[in-house]
Amino acid sequence: MKKNLRLLPFILLLTGCQSFLDVQPELQVDESQAITNGSTAEAAVNGLYNRLGSDSYYGSNFPAISYLSGGDIQWTGSQSDPQQITARKLTADNGYVGSAWSAIYKTILQANYLLETVPTLSDPQLTADRKNQIQGEAYALRALSYFDLARGWGGVQLILKATHTPSDNTGITRSSLDDTYAQVLKDLTAAEPLLGNTTNRNKVTRKTVWALRARYHLYRKEWEQAETYASKLIDDAASYKLTKPYNAFFANNAVATTESVFEIAYTNSFKNGHYNWWLPPALSGRREWAPNDKLVTLLNDPTVGGNRSELIAKTVPPGNLWYGKLYYRTPLGTDPAYVIRIAELYLIRAEARAQLGKTTTALADLNAVRDRAGVALSQASTKETLLLAIENERQVEFPFETDRWFNLIRTGRVAAVLGITDVNKYVLPIPNSEILADKALTQNPGY
Amino acid sequence: MQKLLFAGVVWLLSCGGLLAQSTGTRLSGTVRTDNGEPLPGANVVLKNQTKGASTDANGQFTIDARTGDELVISAIGYQTTQVKVGAKTTLDIFLGESASQLNEVVVVGYGTQDRKNLVGSVSQVNADEIKNRPVASFDQQLQGRAVGVQVAANTGVPGDGIFFRIRGTTSINASNDPLYVVDGVFVNNQSLQKITTQGQSNNPLADINPADIESISILKDAEATAIYGARAANGVVLITTKRGSYNSKTKVQLNTSVGQAWAPKLWDLVTGAEHATIINEAWINDGKPAATRPFRPVSEGGRGLPEEQQTYDRLNDIFRTGTLQNYDLSVSGGTKQTRFYLGGGYTSQQATLRTNDFSRASFKLNLDQDITDKIRIGTSNIFSQSNRTNARVGDGPQGGILQAALHTPTYLPKFNTDGTYAKWAGFDNLDVLINNTDMHSTSTRYIGNIYGEYDITSGLKFRSSWSIDYNDYNEYEYWNTLTNRGSASKGLATSSISKNTIWINEQTLSYRKTFGNRHNFGALVGNTFQGNVATQTLAQGTNFPSDAFKQIASASVTTSSSTSNRYNLVSFFGRVDYNFDKKYFFETSLRADASSKFAVGHRWGYFPSAGVAWQLKQENFLRDVSFLSDLKVRASVGWTGNQNGIDNYASRGLWGGGYNYQDNPGTVPVQLANPELKWETTRQTNVGLNVGLFNNRIGLEVNAYSKYTYDLLLQVPLAQSSGFASIYQNNGEISNRGLEFAINSQNINKAGFQWNTSFNIAGNVNRVEKLSIPVDASYATERMAQGYAFHSFYVYKQLYVDPKTGNAVYEDVNKDGQITVADKQFYGSALPKFFGGLNNTFSYKGFDLSVFFNFSSGSKVFNNNRFFLESGGTRDDRRAINKNQLNRWQKEGDITDVPRVTTIGNNYNLSPTSRFVEDGSFLRLNSLVFGYSIPKSALRKLGIASARVYYSGSNLWLLNNYQGPDPEVNVTGNPTTQGYDLGTPPQPRTAQFGLNLTF
Repeated sequence: MKKNLRLLPFILLLTGCQSFLDVQPELQVDESQAITNGSTAEAAVNGLYNRLGSDSYYGSNFPAISYLSGGDIQWTGSQSDPQQITARKLTADNGYVGSAWSAIYKTILQANYLLETVPTLSDPQLTADRKNQIQGEAYALRALSYFDLARGWGGVQLILKATHTPSDNTGITRSSLDDTYAQVLKDLTAAEPLLGNTTNRNKVTRKTVWALRARYHLYRKEWEQAETYASKLIDDAASYKLTKPYNAFFANNAVATTESVFEIAYTNSFKNGHYNWWLPPALSGRREWAPNDKLVTLLNDPTVGGNRSELIAKTVPPGNLWYGKLYYRTPLGTDPAYVIRIAELYLIRAEARAQLGKTTTALADLNAVRDRAGVALSQASTKETLLLAIENERQVEFPFETDRWFNLIRTGRVAAVLGITDVNKYVLPIPNSEILADKALTQNPGY
Repeated sequence: MQKLLFAGVVWLLSCGGLLAQSTGTRLSGTVRTDNGEPLPGANVVLKNQTKGASTDANGQFTIDARTGDELVISAIGYQTTQVKVGAKTTLDIFLGESASQLNEVVVVGYGTQDRKNLVGSVSQVNADEIKNRPVASFDQQLQGRAVGVQVAANTGVPGDGIFFRIRGTTSINASNDPLYVVDGVFVNNQSLQKITTQGQSNNPLADINPADIESISILKDAEATAIYGARAANGVVLITTKRGSYNSKTKVQLNTSVGQAWAPKLWDLVTGAEHATIINEAWINDGKPAATRPFRPVSEGGRGLPEEQQTYDRLNDIFRTGTLQNYDLSVSGGTKQTRFYLGGGYTSQQATLRTNDFSRASFKLNLDQDITDKIRIGTSNIFSQSNRTNARVGDGPQGGILQAALHTPTYLPKFNTDGTYAKWAGFDNLDVLINNTDMHSTSTRYIGNIYGEYDITSGLKFRSSWSIDYNDYNEYEYWNTLTNRGSASKGLATSSISKNTIWINEQTLSYRKTFGNRHNFGALVGNTFQGNVATQTLAQGTNFPSDAFKQIASASVTTSSSTSNRYNLVSFFGRVDYNFDKKYFFETSLRADASSKFAVGHRWGYFPSAGVAWQLKQENFLRDVSFLSDLKVRASVGWTGNQNGIDNYASRGLWGGGYNYQDNPGTVPVQLANPELKWETTRQTNVGLNVGLFNNRIGLEVNAYSKYTYDLLLQVPLAQSSGFASIYQNNGEISNRGLEFAINSQNINKAGFQWNTSFNIAGNVNRVEKLSIPVDASYATERMAQGYAFHSFYVYKQLYVDPKTGNAVYEDVNKDGQITVADKQFYGSALPKFFGGLNNTFSYKGFDLSVFFNFSSGSKVFNNNRFFLESGGTRDDRRAINKNQLNRWQKEGDITDVPRVTTIGNNYNLSPTSRFVEDGSFLRLNSLVFGYSIPKSALRKLGIASARVYYSGSNLWLLNNYQGPDPEVNVTGNPTTQGYDLGTPPQPRTAQFGLNLTF
């Protein structure tokens, strides 16, 4: 017996050494098993939305970069990263900027994977319609990703194929801003026919693509198309209308109201930490930042903010701290991320129309938004006064969403409004770690 | 030189046979210690003749002699004995222990070795020497005791993680910790903790009761470590626990101590009035109107004038005098065939920082049984349970107890005007945390093995063993509705159960034989199979009916998850050692390891080593030099490997789950494949010198080494446009070069009075030799880059504060007229240039005194507390301000390094800057012990064999320039960050009284 025991390891060695050393992961799967049929493809689609809604992207970080830059939010915390952003003293190693950059490219990778694999799948469970739908979602979200990169950083590297080895997608230089936007349009155009003409506020449909196109054309100053695409949504009154009062789209745990064209949904198995940065300690947050005095005054002004004053509240004495409460679902972390709301489409169309000289209809669109907020209707009648009124309306309509900063950059008003004259600061720095890791990548000037 | 030595050894091997001779009658015998244990490796020689033998593993020897001859029996660590050969042909010889430290038997890989015969570089520490320092784990007790071994506590919380490096840092992403082997069991030292305590982690080695340890052997050079091959790149720590003695009376030992711990120094914060003054000053400096300064009369809508502000001290609320207690009871003994050691221990240590407690109850059973003359079986067992109550200590505001105390501005009251708890700046109310923090963990640990040994023939032995290290780490946290974490969620609880199992099956075949009296030959072959399984189950619940319900079963919203991770290793190893006449030594070993972490084709790594030594004292030309008692030179070279610490599936391309949307399962790619991934390898060369003087009353050891690590297992940063952050690659090279010097001296050795001194000092120069891309540490304050030491700080260098403007002037490295990331520079490393210890022990009649200092010099610390506490008004009412901020520039002509306070510009908006990089050097009176042994004559009547009472103090004095309480700090268990101080509780000062009793 002992002899046998002694031999056991050697027997093991001869017969089982190889299998003893083949340890398969249980928590994750090999790349080759990732997308193989309909159900695994559906899982990867969920992964795409998850990437889009991660804390580093729309979950909190990307909107934060925009609103912290916009001059209406003060830094009230301890972290250096938001301190730099609110002070517009960004360095290329800012963590918020770095994680947004990486999260956006992770979203693009996921879209590229789907676009590469889904057409090749042969699974009777996966219908041609469904295949089209998935590719349409991938194209549309890749478009949104490049749109965000373009408005944040300027022209970027266009990565259109999935990365399988570290040498894939290397040596690609930055495209121009125009070429980057051209890719956005190309992807939106590709997505449109692949998607169903349905209403789904948490996923991409043809209607979502229209809304994104309206915004795209506004940024590109293509006023007619902006108007056209905005109208497609506004005219679909059965599906989209301004909720009244203002807070009806978010208060009392509201989700997916008619206000939303596209909002990212969060549940127990996918949360965001946005509320944490806004809420005061008394409400379990860390109030890393808060509306500044100027914004508090505007929102509390019945002639400006109207019932949008519901976006803010104040803690008990002696604290008396103002805080934002668009994101408040603690500790669930299920506050939706508002990617595009019907109010924005009204204001897009208002601006497009004003630019086209259609002042009456422009004013009507603007006043639709004002009316919903319970403020007196605007009397602006010239293009210039209308454009200014629209700019001011956006300030109080989207103070905690991804708007103010990009809006002022887009219109070229940032110097006049925020006093930032260094044009180098109109784009974010490329993360320094990327410059180190990628020889083909060049830094934006001034960083 | 090495070649010459090697040639010499070969020559000796080839002609050694000529020297063998044989005559007379055959004597056989057993050499045993006083305790009756067989003594292997003892020398048995005929007086005035060259003939000799040495004892085998069972203490047995045979020698040819004539009646009337005199046998001289000697062994290192034992008194030499002479025996006249009479009629008896079988002899039983007992050797008493000798006093000299230099003669000890040293535990080495898969065996023991006389220190005199060592070829490799090994430090051995007797547990008795170090046990008086009341810390939770033996690794911390080793601080300053073993030359070349750098030990630093991360925090002053007992049972927390320890920074432990043998001869420097060799790896970036793989582990830098040594391999710990307890009685042959490879034990886990990676924390299983999953519930965050904010930048701190538990030390799994605290599960082992130091009182059960007999000796700790630290293998440093490749000759000593290579037998552990792939596990040994960072050195090996061999722990031998106490065993009974054959043929000995049962001995009962009781050790007990009680004491206190307190924080000798805390932080200096400004008063409320000073805080207000700074904030107002920053306001004015920002160019804002004085009329709206924050601290203006309440009647004008302000917070009150500076002089009206109160000062609220919070630091003294969280630091306390902790109690320490320790009880160890052991029973040991043996018969002719059996020996046993049974131990039980309980220790309880309160941290000076409130709500942090550590306690451990442990059992120990070691048993050996001779079944026949040739077969032995035995077992070693450690069973323990360590209980911790924790707090969130370091980084992050929510629930952070030290942060809430240190960083809440001192002018802010503890209560709101309505009497409710006030909460400030993202922090919890401190009183709430002190009274409601409920975090605790229980580590249940079993470390044990069973073995069987079979003496096949004389000198040839087979051994097989099965070992297990099982650890169940069970954590729980409950945050009730008063705390920030629990208030909105109506209570929040997390339960995490982590289990880690390492099992090992091992076979060795060893052979030891002396040929022709002087050719001492040993050989070893063996193999091991090792499996590692780690699983975790996590559950979280929120929304509890009331604060009285604390278990997740009562929560209305719950989530849970589980994970599993495993890897396996297969190893074969062999070693041959030879010495001629204990004069010329040669040793070589080879180990082959295969790890499941690598893809087929790259699994096996081969790790050879060779060493030579020359005992010059044995040469004729030194025989008559009487003051010289030992002179040995050594040299070795070898290769060792590393795969610890990297992900178990690091070579695979992986997709991960859990990336869900709308509660539907989602997947995303998480890792790129690298099928070419292979072992990280360290080449080490070592030359050493041992000198013994005046009958070994002075012993000196010097080593010089060079370690070169290549094929670093590195998470190489990728361009994130690829969608991946990094990929595991063999990329980079790191060198460590160092000198070690240790001296032991019996200054006075008279009956009644003894004075011994031991001193050690080691210096290590670490350099990243090759790295394709700089890698930032987990806190980006540190960066690893080619040409610089590990843990180098990478900061904006503040040149001076302009006396004219008060603005900080930073070095514009690239001279482009602006300060950008391109202007960051390397600014010292958290690694010390040299470190060591000095111990003096005195004994006079029944009194004993030991005074032990340890020191470390040349390291830097990033004082991140100051970054927050000296932020020049930018953090207004969100962070406290320290006294040093008062040294700010105020008017033209002020010379200071604290810039003008303002929220504008670079004075306080740039991070990290060299302003907060401080010198971490220190000299510490690590421990002082004063004891008195009651005369045995007085005890005999009571049936007590010996009794000693003692006082022991630790950390009684500290010399340093650091602005925080203690420079020995680190916020995180993450191996890439070191010397980063953020809310780190300082080392406690302790005083204890104790009693040792033996029956």
